[in-house]
Amino acid sequence: MMNKTTRIILWMIGILVLVLIPKLFGVYYTNMVVTFAILSVFALSLNMLLGYTGLLSFGHAMFFGFGGYGTALALKHIGGLGLLPAIGIGVLSAVVLALILCPLVVRVSGTAFAMLHLAFGQLMYVLALKMYRVTGGEDGIANFPVPGILTESLKNSPENFYYMAMIILCLCAWMMWFFTKTPFGQIQVGMRDNANRIDYLGYKVPQSKAVIYTLSAMFAGVAGSIYGLFLNLVSADGSLGIVMSFVPIVSVMIGGVGSFFGPILGVAVFKMVDELILRYTESTELVMGIILIVVMMFMPMGFMGLINLLKKRIKAWFVARAEMEKVS
Amino acid sequence: MNPVVSTYIVQGIYGITYGMILFLIASGLNIIFGMMGILNMAHAAFLMLAGYFCYQVVQITGNFWMGLIFAPILVAVLGVLMEQLFLRRVLGSHVGELILTMGIANVIVAGIKKIWGTESLPLQMPDLLSGMVSIAGMGYPVYRLFVIGLALAVMLFMMLLLYRTRLGKVVRAAVSDREMVNALGININLVSMLVFGVGTWMAGLAGVVIAPILTVFPGLADQVGMDAFIVVVTGGFGSLQGAFIVSIIFGLLSSYGVQFVSQFAPVLIVVFMAIVLVFRPNGLFGAKER
Repeated sequence: MMNKTTRIILWMIGILVLVLIPKLFGVYYTNMVVTFAILSVFALSLNMLLGYTGLLSFGHAMFFGFGGYGTALALKHIGGLGLLPAIGIGVLSAVVLALILCPLVVRVSGTAFAMLHLAFGQLMYVLALKMYRVTGGEDGIANFPVPGILTESLKNSPENFYYMAMIILCLCAWMMWFFTKTPFGQIQVGMRDNANRIDYLGYKVPQSKAVIYTLSAMFAGVAGSIYGLFLNLVSADGSLGIVMSFVPIVSVMIGGVGSFFGPILGVAVFKMVDELILRYTESTELVMGIILIVVMMFMPMGFMGLINLLKKRIKAWFVARAEMEKVS
Repeated sequence: MNPVVSTYIVQGIYGITYGMILFLIASGLNIIFGMMGILNMAHAAFLMLAGYFCYQVVQITGNFWMGLIFAPILVAVLGVLMEQLFLRRVLGSHVGELILTMGIANVIVAGIKKIWGTESLPLQMPDLLSGMVSIAGMGYPVYRLFVIGLALAVMLFMMLLLYRTRLGKVVRAAVSDREMVNALGININLVSMLVFGVGTWMAGLAGVVIAPILTVFPGLADQVGMDAFIVVVTGGFGSLQGAFIVSIIFGLLSSYGVQFVSQFAPVLIVVFMAIVLVFRPNGLFGAKER
């Protein structure tokens, strides 16, 4: 339907808009876009498990948190560390955690998988609270230096931070999208729908699961690392707690499970509720609750499902009109 | 008696009290999950709501016993309404139902904040239960003993209902194979409704008895709900004895943990859960995945 030129033009426009955002809008909206991008990558990484592989995790925040804590601790204790190595250390710690958990979690699926993650997520959360010598307990780690790549420091220049964060996050999102298109990425859908079949076809299910799991943890780690840098604060409640585990689950579910862009849409709804509703009423909880209820009752495939349905309707309407004209 | 020993015993009673309350909540959560496969995230919100209802009843009538009787029933009615109006109509997966119950929990918390405010409201326990009783030369708080007794009575009642009546037979059969029971000509929807009502009623009861101990505040659901959830997970979904044993262990772990390693009491519980789940991913007494 869409030929190559229009696609390239659309891409150019998209990139141009992203580049121009900090120039056109103020610091406030620039920061909003950064949070949006971070949560989107986090939700996308969860969707790799929940939407594509069919594994529900109640503890995805532990990778997010490990990314943040790894980066923050590295920057705090290693003097003169560059920004990219610091992010690398955060991501690496999330990946190492995933590799440690792999042998335990790939054996199970369904409820047991979710519960095992609940257990480990809570364990990490409680440990982060109690080991206050390392993690700062409830206060978390704040005011660590944020070095720049080319510039001096990113601490007081939201514009430069924006470009740094967006390049990394967009790259991550693109990599996840690319991954779903590879033959290996297709296996995950097969495992969701019928794991036995995939086994019979000669693919190793636990090993493939482990690779997907680690990749998902890696992207969550990137998101967490940048989130920590962005706020210049990592805390147990802000990045490791159970609330943080549910944010991506809810985003994926209201955005549309199983479609790639659904989670991004879900995060957008989330942010919109935060931004818009807070101006009119105090109780965001009520609005969020009602949105969850309505979406789950009437749109089981989320907002993405609604959009697809509308697309189909409009197409059908056009086809019907063409038929009518042909008849008359 | 030796004062050290008596401290241990009193701590033990505190632990068992908390364990029994956890059991009341967890078993409600458990039968609902076993019956319908729904992880009811609104369970703890209903518990909190019962605490507030009881507070309101006590404000109006000045009688704790009225609250103890009516608040759980009110909450159970609301639970049944939720099941009938919302949960029954969800089209998607179990994750969808989970998100829906989360939404309902959000609405309940928002409503509570709107009506009763965000301060924690004290609830007087009745005079009859507020003193200490001395057994063998030691004083025990009566209220805690009362809670233990009440929870035991409810548990006995549940056991009789589940294992000695025809209804219990149907429920147990439905837990293991819902479609088959439906095919045998039993109105499974009616049974589900009943089970949901009883489960929520138990949560309500727990909410009322916990209110004089912890006072009622909007964070109550998070605090108790997480513990109850952990109990169900560790004990195994769909297993009452698992829930019972694990809730007692948890109660004791938390009360003795505070006494001996006060810093790391919460860690103990989570470590216990992690170890159990590593070796038995479906929980201590959990059945294999269906």
